[in-house]
Amino acid sequence: MALSSIFLPLPLPKLVSSSRSHRLLPVRASSDAPAASASFDLRRYWTSLIADVESELDAAMPMRPPESIHAAMRYAVLPGAGKEGAAKRAPPVLCVAACELLGAPRSAALPAAAALEMLHAASLVHDDLPCFDAAPTRRGRPSTHAAFGTDMAVLAGDALFPLAYTHIIAHTPSPDPVPHAVLLRVMAELARAVGSTGMAAGQFLDLAGATALGEAEVMQVLTKKFGEMAECSAACGAMLGGAGPDEEAALRRYGRTIGVLYELVDDIRSASGNGKMRSNASVLRALGMDRALGIVEELKAQAKTEADRFADKYGDRVLPLYSFVDYAVERGFELQDAAAAP
Amino acid sequence: MAMAFHTLAASRVRVGPLLPAAAAAPMSSSVAAHRYHHRRRFSAIVAAAPAAAPAAAPAEFDFDSYMTERSETVNRALDAAIPEGEPPAALHEAMRYSLLAGGKRVRPALCLAACGVVGGREEWALAPAAAVEMVHTMSLVHDDLPCMDDDDLRRGKPTCHIVYGEAIAVLTGDALLSQAFHHVANAGSYPPDVDSEKHPARVVRATFELARCIGSEGLVAGQVVDLAMTGASEVVPLERLEYIHLHKTAALLEASVVMGAIIGGGTDEQIERLRKYARSIGLLFQVVDDILDVTKSSEELGKTAGKDLASDKTTYPKLLGLEKSREFAEKLLSDAKEQLAGFDKEKAAPLLHLAYYIAHRQN
Repeated sequence: MALSSIFLPLPLPKLVSSSRSHRLLPVRASSDAPAASASFDLRRYWTSLIADVESELDAAMPMRPPESIHAAMRYAVLPGAGKEGAAKRAPPVLCVAACELLGAPRSAALPAAAALEMLHAASLVHDDLPCFDAAPTRRGRPSTHAAFGTDMAVLAGDALFPLAYTHIIAHTPSPDPVPHAVLLRVMAELARAVGSTGMAAGQFLDLAGATALGEAEVMQVLTKKFGEMAECSAACGAMLGGAGPDEEAALRRYGRTIGVLYELVDDIRSASGNGKMRSNASVLRALGMDRALGIVEELKAQAKTEADRFADKYGDRVLPLYSFVDYAVERGFELQDAAAAP
Repeated sequence: MAMAFHTLAASRVRVGPLLPAAAAAPMSSSVAAHRYHHRRRFSAIVAAAPAAAPAAAPAEFDFDSYMTERSETVNRALDAAIPEGEPPAALHEAMRYSLLAGGKRVRPALCLAACGVVGGREEWALAPAAAVEMVHTMSLVHDDLPCMDDDDLRRGKPTCHIVYGEAIAVLTGDALLSQAFHHVANAGSYPPDVDSEKHPARVVRATFELARCIGSEGLVAGQVVDLAMTGASEVVPLERLEYIHLHKTAALLEASVVMGAIIGGGTDEQIERLRKYARSIGLLFQVVDDILDVTKSSEELGKTAGKDLASDKTTYPKLLGLEKSREFAEKLLSDAKEQLAGFDKEKAAPLLHLAYYIAHRQN
């Protein structure tokens, strides 16, 4: 369960064009980028990115022998034929946005962005297994093990991990403009983020019941399970875009913050009766609604502070970063309000 | 599930003989036993085929010491790669439980030896060597799961999911796989004396080989085709049997050898020769295993003998007959040796003896 599952199925942010989001955006818009923020269309930006990521993923996984495993891998990664199965692709979107912020071409980040989605999907497939969450469905259709069998689901996950690395190596433009050393840093970053001190740690802590404990434990699970993946996405985009150390560090903090923010808002939605109940909706029980809302405000402010660092240097290119923050928060409360006043 | 039985046998095959017997004999005595067999059988080969064998094998090469030293080095690297007690402690404990369970570390040894044979320092290849062992361990942890082979014991110890539960066993495998790639890609895994100009490109290429060999067209492909075939009652054609072994067993040996050769600075031609060598010994490993299953007692094997027959599994003796299977094994061994012919004899000695070891092991 990482970022993209947190995102709602399409349709995306009507929020950006709604009056609600405009209440938030002008904080930046009035100071640094007055006209552009109003005209920046997150939905269009996101839609074009998702289209690019989808075609990258589709091409990365051709049907070939043995067909059963490739069918299971495609099923796990690619969205269903239309309808509610569409994935939001948050990790790749964040990765490409970070790269583009720095002025580098999208093509430098797309292979790594697709790899993020493969790793992400691999962990989702394993997370849904009967011995874990035992989720019969994901994104509105049978989960991979329900469709292909548990043994094939384990193997599909196992095969998606290495595919992420072969894809990055085969398709990232390297050594020019991306030097081999940067490619290696990106791969090490990905491996760390999904490994025993990253997402796997979060899944482990969740299994161990840490979400039933106090605030510190809950925040740790959220950070490990969701923050690490988003941090990795932003960090990979930063490296591929040629970020300096300070820029990379700021984008890391931004990514981590926004990953936790998305999840927390998602849990608030779940607890208020909107959206699907998730296994870790107990986050809200541990924090209490008031505290959770307080943390949302803190995270939002932190993410904006990190994005602010880039405003002077990169101008309008920072706008996607602001809009992600607003989207993360706004969509949640909009739904919550709707539930409160049916 | 019924079909898991075959896979169980096959996965034991992959592990048991290369790693210490399930009975967990102390490493030194089991190594000594192998050495004894190895020498005895080697002399038999020399007598039978005087033209081929003696020239290739420097008599003074001490295979026993070579393997012991390499496995100690690799064990230290593995121990350091997954620090004890780092949070979450129980997850790292499960990783260590599976990874540090002992073993002859044949895959890492192949990786180090391949680095050496092309003129590199073996230390350069220590990170990839540790990584292949992590991948190997990960594949065993997942193979043992109830939804796969459903195995309770490995190397005489309860399997990971028996000790820690299924969910943690899945995570342990995933974490080991990620750790393997982190270890290979991370610049800090390599000694300072690597060629700073060429090294990053070599590591990128090595990482690609590792990922390719274990993915849906490598190790996993072998497992998938094996799973698909275990339900069927018809005899598996030779071609399919070879496909399974080349993927389930040979692919990771190929990754080990090829990564070592790349990191060691081997030429493309050397790398491809060593790839062929690895594929030959990978297949050889399985042919020998099938032969042992019908010719040895359970006591000699340290595992249930005759299991392949009992489970109606397709094997080389079943398809070719015992004698032809032996001939095929000899052919694979000579193919592997042939690939080593162009290398410096002294530097090629470890790879040569690893091939003999795989061919002439008795359990």
